[in-house]
Amino acid sequence: MIMKLILPLILLFATSSFAMTKVNIKTEMTNKIDKVLIVIKDSNLSKDEKANEIISLMNSAFDYTLMSRLSLGKTWKKISKDERIEFIKLFTQMLKISYVDKLDLYTDELVKIIGTEEPKRNRVILKTQLVGKDAKHDINYKFYKVKNAVDTWLIYDIDLIGVSIIKTYQSQFKGFLKDKTFQELMVNLKTKK
Amino acid sequence: MKNLIIFLFIIITFNACTVTSHYNVSENLEFKYVNEKDRKTYELFGKEQAIKEIKVDSVSDNDDFSDEYADEKDDMDPFEPYNRVMTSFNDFMYINLLNPIAKSYATVVPQDARVGISNFIHNITFPIRFANNILQFKFNYAAEELGRFTVNSTIGILGFMDPAKESFNLEKREEDFGQTLGYYGFGQGAHVVLPIYGPSNLRDILGLIGDNYINPLTDVSSIDYKIPDRPEKTLGITIFSTLNKTSLNLGKYENLKKDAIDDLYPFLKDIYTQNREKMIKE
Repeated sequence: MIMKLILPLILLFATSSFAMTKVNIKTEMTNKIDKVLIVIKDSNLSKDEKANEIISLMNSAFDYTLMSRLSLGKTWKKISKDERIEFIKLFTQMLKISYVDKLDLYTDELVKIIGTEEPKRNRVILKTQLVGKDAKHDINYKFYKVKNAVDTWLIYDIDLIGVSIIKTYQSQFKGFLKDKTFQELMVNLKTKK
Repeated sequence: MKNLIIFLFIIITFNACTVTSHYNVSENLEFKYVNEKDRKTYELFGKEQAIKEIKVDSVSDNDDFSDEYADEKDDMDPFEPYNRVMTSFNDFMYINLLNPIAKSYATVVPQDARVGISNFIHNITFPIRFANNILQFKFNYAAEELGRFTVNSTIGILGFMDPAKESFNLEKREEDFGQTLGYYGFGQGAHVVLPIYGPSNLRDILGLIGDNYINPLTDVSSIDYKIPDRPEKTLGITIFSTLNKTSLNLGKYENLKKDAIDDLYPFLKDIYTQNREKMIKE
């Protein structure tokens, strides 16, 4: 009897630290989002503690390197390896702050998991909905299958009400780099709060 | 009348059907066989567009993201100087006028009451959503909206409550005339930032004019159900509904603004455009 209860728990913890496989994207993400909601509503935690908890819960699901590359577009090819590493660091930091800042605003709202969709091979979209006071907002987590890995899926973009985070950053970086240098962009990201 | 019935019959039977051309008809009225890979399939009166070509996914193991994140060409922005000024003006008005008033309004009026007012305004603008769902051949959504309006106007006490959602599981089906025009293939046209209202474009401005024509909360046109009878009243209602809406979304604009790297105008423009594209596709 006890084993019956413990076994699923062990399995749960054993799998939670690894990246997701295709079939368990929905359950894993539901699990993660539920935990995030519990953290957000926990009034004993300070804002920084909440942020750290949430980031450690969600971190393993994201491919920050790919997100950085996609958002930088053509410029990615023009910069050195060190610059790339530095950019990934700054960009990841910015994404995390922005994500946690947003969650902070939606404390009394509900998250509904709608389901998954496969727009094409090697892509899965997890559709969720944030149910607010006077409206609902679609949040879609976009997964891709990691090349040369066995059934490993990571998030490469999030669509908020149809607005792709990566596309938005991509066009912003492009606009910035039109009349400014990459070094200036890095300074801007560093000083951004 | 007869014609209308035939038209409706055709539309309903053809609703979201697909057509594949197997033969081409030449100028001499000869039929020519089309090879399987050259055939084109169209979806008619589907959810996204009136006529849409269905592309078959070629089975390739392509992990490339270049088609998803292609560097888009700079679109024409003839009103850019004006749009920039208007964006700064709107930002200033929001931060210094609308937001502080909405904040004090929120401390005086309890949230439940504000949600009720928001429900009431949403319910009364039902004709817009009903008409635009019909215009886009989304009859089941139009029926759902009609159901919502009937239930919420009666059991929901003039629309202040939303029992349609809570007890009958009838969803809101937001459609406006800008989306209808998009559905029929109208391009968005130049981006235009409207005073107070915010980002828009030529197509959606045309849409706003169309919607205001049937909106019960404006005095343009002389449809019987119009509530205000003078422009001042329309303006009053608009200001109040904007204030109420803002009070339910406090802090969200400031939060969004933080995601702008350095230039607010192109950022807001991009978000608006992407969001409208999604709404038209739905």
